[in-house]
Amino acid sequence: MIFQSIMSGARPLSIGLTAVVLTGCATFSKDGGLDAVSAMTAERTGQTVQFARPGSNTETIENNVHQLLSKPLTPDTAVQIALQNNRALQASLAELGIAESDLVQAGRMRNPGFSFGRMRGGDELEIERGIMFDIVGLLTIPIRRDIEGRRFEQARLQAASQAVRLVAETRKAYFNAVAAQQTAQYMEQVGMAAEASAELAKRMAKVGNWSKLDQAREQAFHADATAQIARAKHNAIAAREQLARLMGVWGAGTAFQLPDRLPDLPKEVGAINDIEAQAMRQRLDIQMAKYDTEATASALGLTKATGFINVLHAGYANKSTTDAPRENGYEIELELPIFDWGGAKTARAEAVYMQSLHRTADIAVRARSEVRESYSAYRTSYDLAKHYRDEVVPLRKRISDEMLLRYNGMLASVFELLADARDQINSVNAAIEAQRDFWVADTDLQSAVNGTGGASTPMRGQASSQTAAQAH
Amino acid sequence: MVSRRDFFMGAGALVGAGLVTRAGAASLPEAPVMSSAATQPPLAPPNGRPYNPVVTLNGWSLPWRMNNGVKEFHLVAEPVVRELAPGMKANLWGYNGQSPGPTIEVVEGDRVRIFVTNKLPEHTSIHWHGQRLPNGMDGVTGLTQPGIQPGKTFVYEFVARRPGTFMYHPHADEMTQMAMGMMGFWVTHPKNPGSMRVDRDFVFLLNNYDIDPGSYTPKVNTMLDFNLFTFNSRVFPGIDSMNVRQGDRVRIRVGNLTMTNHPIHLHGHEFVVAGTDGGWTPPASRWPEVTTDIAVGQMRAIEFDATDPGDWAFHCHKSHHTMNAMGHNVPTMIGVDQRGIVQKINKLVPDYMVMGERGMADMGEMEMPLPDNTLPMMGGQGPFGSVEMGGMFTVVKVRKDQKPGDYKDPGWYKHPAGTLAYEWKGETPQAARSDSAGGQSMPAEGRQGTIEMNVRKPSGHAGHH
Ligand SMILES: [Cu+2]
Repeated sequence: MIFQSIMSGARPLSIGLTAVVLTGCATFSKDGGLDAVSAMTAERTGQTVQFARPGSNTETIENNVHQLLSKPLTPDTAVQIALQNNRALQASLAELGIAESDLVQAGRMRNPGFSFGRMRGGDELEIERGIMFDIVGLLTIPIRRDIEGRRFEQARLQAASQAVRLVAETRKAYFNAVAAQQTAQYMEQVGMAAEASAELAKRMAKVGNWSKLDQAREQAFHADATAQIARAKHNAIAAREQLARLMGVWGAGTAFQLPDRLPDLPKEVGAINDIEAQAMRQRLDIQMAKYDTEATASALGLTKATGFINVLHAGYANKSTTDAPRENGYEIELELPIFDWGGAKTARAEAVYMQSLHRTADIAVRARSEVRESYSAYRTSYDLAKHYRDEVVPLRKRISDEMLLRYNGMLASVFELLADARDQINSVNAAIEAQRDFWVADTDLQSAVNGTGGASTPMRGQASSQTAAQAH
Repeated sequence: MVSRRDFFMGAGALVGAGLVTRAGAASLPEAPVMSSAATQPPLAPPNGRPYNPVVTLNGWSLPWRMNNGVKEFHLVAEPVVRELAPGMKANLWGYNGQSPGPTIEVVEGDRVRIFVTNKLPEHTSIHWHGQRLPNGMDGVTGLTQPGIQPGKTFVYEFVARRPGTFMYHPHADEMTQMAMGMMGFWVTHPKNPGSMRVDRDFVFLLNNYDIDPGSYTPKVNTMLDFNLFTFNSRVFPGIDSMNVRQGDRVRIRVGNLTMTNHPIHLHGHEFVVAGTDGGWTPPASRWPEVTTDIAVGQMRAIEFDATDPGDWAFHCHKSHHTMNAMGHNVPTMIGVDQRGIVQKINKLVPDYMVMGERGMADMGEMEMPLPDNTLPMMGGQGPFGSVEMGGMFTVVKVRKDQKPGDYKDPGWYKHPAGTLAYEWKGETPQAARSDSAGGQSMPAEGRQGTIEMNVRKPSGHAGHH
């Protein structure tokens, strides 16, 4: 793993010597840290990250995105578009560059400065001239370089975790959008059944076979169905827009096509074997926490060894889930050990280290629990989706077949037939929801194992029970 | 197994009940079993006092053995599968293989001993409806006897004192057991075979069931909304015709064990009610009828001379009772134009077809798939098309050449020239019609204006769908 090679333990200082030797060492990398981010993302999601560099490859990326948008989207192509085109991700990749220049900066000595001051008080003129040379800067170059190296690594992890999160969000948005579109289509069919009932009722009332009460009841159902269709249509648009935002498309790009159906359920569910251990290896938040702990350890070593170098390191921002930019940095203080030989500072550094250790352990415990919960959601939603596909929907179909036989025998009316058709459609809708829930749970599980954890996944209720109760 | 007694010449599927026969050979009489739901020829008495046997519509009469001058019968109460009509079978409870059970025929003055074995899952008893007998033989569980527990056999013994028409049925968990088809007919013939003599004597019970379309077992808790009205647990077109010779004196005895009354109606002839539950009606008190109402728990014996040849309908006059299972809540679709809607419905239900727009005769015409074990509401093919009937409907066939004692179906009647309704092919001038509905004795006040009603006449558009 890349970050491990960069990392260094707390090593004893020989500031004076190394400072001069290392001065010219820090240079910009070829990829600006992007390759590592891309590799980490690919390892976890199967997709690479592209960084749009102004003037160089923006056109290629535009062409790629255009190409991908020209065909009906798949979960993978939606993700590919998002990884190339999502501006928030690009912004965070740009942050890598900032971190890298900090790193490079840290390896260089500050230029000597020249100051000139001129002050006048009454008829007195004071002119001050001075040449400044950054001694502290020179002395702390190795420490700074070390810290900046870690910060750069953190930035890479941060960028990768953002990429992985974007992949998950895009996948979920994709499944939601396809399902919502399917639901809206089926709702149109419910509407058609309601419309047929209402029209028939109107004609029955017209020729005197039905009362106004009976007619109004069918009309009311149609009116309700119309409202439901409107909602379903909006939901489809909202879900589509969510996907559009994540893919970063606008203008003509928003005319992307979605397939008619969600992907089929896989034949089998993945086994739970080793899934927690895998999360411990893969999860980016755990790696960041570990890395933070190692940095703290190194600061502690520094403090212990010298007693007069105080590194206040604000490291990994634990819950960086809000959109607020991460604020961290550091401050290095060189003291003259005249009055205080650093005992209290050492104790404090130890406490900070312990705090960091516990935080890492806490993240690990939570991650394991999230993995177990996500697996349960994944497994349950698979079983549910299969149950809908193999049991509920075929049963509904059988009920409809029997209903038609009853209609044939004049044992049931056309209204019962239509009400049953509506129930059948609603059960198909519930099956679509279950299938969507599976794909969402599948994505959440991937996030829990590979990313920084998915959302908690309570099982959603079935939509059709409500509408079934409304049927007369 | 084959019948050991040769009562039923040529016909029938009478078999001995092996278990009972073997187990009780020493003391119990045989309990024959019937496997066919077809009308069996009359059972001529092989011994005992002579009588003119009856014919049980879609049923049979129970053979007996003489034991020291006592007529011994053996009824086995048991679950049976009864064919209600070809295409529909029901899980019922009955006696000796069928529901209703076999008709018991005895002669006035006979000493009768009936063994009743219970093979039902719960206790039962038999009440001999209408008989004069010792109170302890009346068969009312709890009141006159303990219930016959499953696997047990009880013996009833009495003298058939009064000639006439009777029934038997359980008087133990009566509601359930009768809803499941436990019942049978009983005829006590007069001592003198010449008295009250007729040429043909048909008997059957009226019963009703509520069997949900697609199911097999009656709903025993139904009180009034039955969907199958039956003659001897058969529905049209599964009810045999009553075939007679022109000039025959015909008697039809009907007992009602349903939950409602049935106005039984005969076409082409008038009849008299010659007997009731209480016995024979004196000839002077009989009046002619073409319909007689048979109330719940009652029996009627009607008689007529079959003077006129033809195929004469014979049915209950409650028109729902001449339908098989139907949806009683299906709205009337007459005159409702479904054009434009059908296409919409077909998108959702591809096999949907419009029915009822012109009335419900579509049902009799169309042959469409129905739920399992369900008969069409109406149907039955006659020589001129669908008879559009179900339930309590059959035909009395009067033929010149039907031989005495021959009960075979002679086929459809051939109408002599000039005796068949025909289509008018000439002009059809507008008939003069009254434009007022007559006066009103108490016209409603404050109700002005009439509702405009459109009379929808069949227009040729029948674009039937
Ligand atoms: Cu009736």
